[in-house]
Amino acid sequence: MVKFWILHGIKNGILTTKYPKKKPTEEEIPARSVPPFAAPESNWIQGQETCPTDAIENNTNSLDLGRCIYCRRCSDAGFIFDDNPEDRHKSLQAKISQNELIRKEVAGIFSKKTNIFRKSFHILMIDVGSCNACNLEVLNLSNPYYDLTRLGIFFTNSPKHADVLVVVGALNKAMVDVLKQTYDSMPEPKLVISIGACAISGGIFKETESFVSSIDKVIPVDVTVPGCPPSPIQILQGLLLCMNKIEKDERIPGSKGGL
Amino acid sequence: MGLIPSFIERKDVAESSDSIQISAIFEIEGRTLALLSDIEKKRTILSTVPSKLSEEADILLKSEEKTGAQINLDTGSKVEGYGVFSFSYGPVSAGVTEAGGFKLITYGERIVKVVPQINFKKRGVEHKAIGMKPEDALLLVERSAGNFSASYSTCFVTTIENILGLQVSSRSRWMRAVAIELERIYNHLHVFARLSETATQNVAAAEANVLKERVLRINAKYFGHRYLFGFNRIGSVYQNHFTKDRRKDLVNDIKNITRDFSHLVTYFLSSRIFLDRLQNTARLPHLDALKLGAVGPSARASAIDWDDRITYPIEPYNDIFVEIETEDEEDTMSRTMVRIREIQSSMLMLEQLLDRMPSDETMSDKTSDNGLNYMQDNFSFCRIESPSGDLIQVVQLDKEGYIKFLHIRPPSLVNWLPFAKSLEGNVFTDFQFAYESFGLSYADSDR
Ligand code: SF4
Ligand code: SF4
Repeated sequence: MVKFWILHGIKNGILTTKYPKKKPTEEEIPARSVPPFAAPESNWIQGQETCPTDAIENNTNSLDLGRCIYCRRCSDAGFIFDDNPEDRHKSLQAKISQNELIRKEVAGIFSKKTNIFRKSFHILMIDVGSCNACNLEVLNLSNPYYDLTRLGIFFTNSPKHADVLVVVGALNKAMVDVLKQTYDSMPEPKLVISIGACAISGGIFKETESFVSSIDKVIPVDVTVPGCPPSPIQILQGLLLCMNKIEKDERIPGSKGGL
Repeated sequence: MGLIPSFIERKDVAESSDSIQISAIFEIEGRTLALLSDIEKKRTILSTVPSKLSEEADILLKSEEKTGAQINLDTGSKVEGYGVFSFSYGPVSAGVTEAGGFKLITYGERIVKVVPQINFKKRGVEHKAIGMKPEDALLLVERSAGNFSASYSTCFVTTIENILGLQVSSRSRWMRAVAIELERIYNHLHVFARLSETATQNVAAAEANVLKERVLRINAKYFGHRYLFGFNRIGSVYQNHFTKDRRKDLVNDIKNITRDFSHLVTYFLSSRIFLDRLQNTARLPHLDALKLGAVGPSARASAIDWDDRITYPIEPYNDIFVEIETEDEEDTMSRTMVRIREIQSSMLMLEQLLDRMPSDETMSDKTSDNGLNYMQDNFSFCRIESPSGDLIQVVQLDKEGYIKFLHIRPPSLVNWLPFAKSLEGNVFTDFQFAYESFGLSYADSDR
């Protein structure tokens, strides 16, 4: 049996993604992880009315990625997505700027040149009210396709060992204190990443009864990874950004191969 | 009253019993109704509420509506005494990746009792949906439980279509079944991977994770989304352009996975260490499973013959070959075997579905085959076999077509008590195996 698995392994070759050495492939960033990137001016109002989460902002041509749940409803209102080459052509006449994807730099005590986390980086995931899809995408990072350990990133189960707190889900009343306690018991220096529309803005659940607020109102957030759920590669990009292994500019908002 | 399909019966049942279980209770226009499952005759019964409710049914019903407060699913007698030790686990804990907890009552090594604590992440989807347009509520419903999203959205849109009496193409209904089966495969693979990890079988875990990732990528390639969000629409599906070539590609992709999965199963069945860990762990006796109303693979592993794909066969399940996979060993091993065999049968089902997919012009029968429609009250319900078991949704629309009432009966909610029961008398290290093998999700039960 052991022999079989060795042969099996050789036959299948290396599955692990080439990222971050090379750009992510199309397979790794699926169609529904890419937000609209352009819209003719005449369609803004219509888009604003269709959008279920108010991601398309009032009268301006901006799109708040932290709110977008990638439902593609706005495509009926003439918003343009990247996966259709004809749409790309249309975008020449259309104008749309996007809000900054990463709202904050790795902030506070970390200057841009700090390389403190470059070698080993321990992450703790905390769920404060997700639908479970974001959780699964974070867990998927440890499968052979993404193989976190090759980059020196490890999962941990204790806040005392964690360098970064990965928060998923729409903050629920019942979880506010738990979130604060977990954050407080982490040793300095520490970072926080909020993952998915729910954590960044409340996403589709922002008007439900038990939703409290976005994560950054409760604890300081350093990096956000928009998506519903973001694909594992996008989460990985967020983690690498924390480790100072990629530059912020490498995450090109809305384009293929970027976030 | 509209037409009633043969698998639904309308009659008043006075008392529930072991073979007639209460599956859901809801209030429509001031009348309290119940959906019952007749396990022997394999039928769904719509009835007024039986006068006698079991303690378990009661506790679940009372806990439905609250948000922002945790609920202890505590039944039966209090356990106290010298040497009995009780402690809480969660809501942030190792092993359980979601927000939810347990109270464990132990005596030495043995677990005497488990009290699941849910509602840490109750979002109140049912409450929020009231007054919304069905299209908008669909976004909420499919995000109630991300990993059962295809089942949730299919259940919801089918119910709405029944109420409105919409004509839906057969192609759309078949595509939904394709999505549901893909969802079942990746969820079962996830359970399998987690079990292997818990037993520190790292090769098996890695292989299962690779297969799961491949299924997720198939989802993304053919449905646009890794977790199948947003492919269902009321009255149709987005992916209607499934050409013959594309379907062939998909069949080939699935065949490759089937082949690799069979290798994995051979490996699994030849590893004594693995099997020893699962056999005899966390038994759920048949009678307890009946009494507590377990659903899904966990119930089928305790020899309960119920699978909505057969007992509530909406199109296309009435047209393709489906087999109920049951086991009677009642332990973690049986639950794993049921899941393994369901992956295999789902793969065969996918091949059938894609091979014989009807053209886009064929319209499916209106309601007679797909559930019933109470015209005068504008309400309907649907049952879908989600990866963890029977999912029920009841929807009522008002005259303008907005949602007036929504009730979701998630599979995980009713499986908490059977899970707790199965752990009684087991040692502490069995906990993780039981938890993973039941395929429980807090997001699902907290919706
Ligand atoms: S994809 Fe959906 S959430 Fe995002 S901007 Fe468009 S309509 Fe709004
Ligand atoms: S962001 Fe989307 S996928 Fe993530 S928890 Fe929220 S609803 Fe689920």
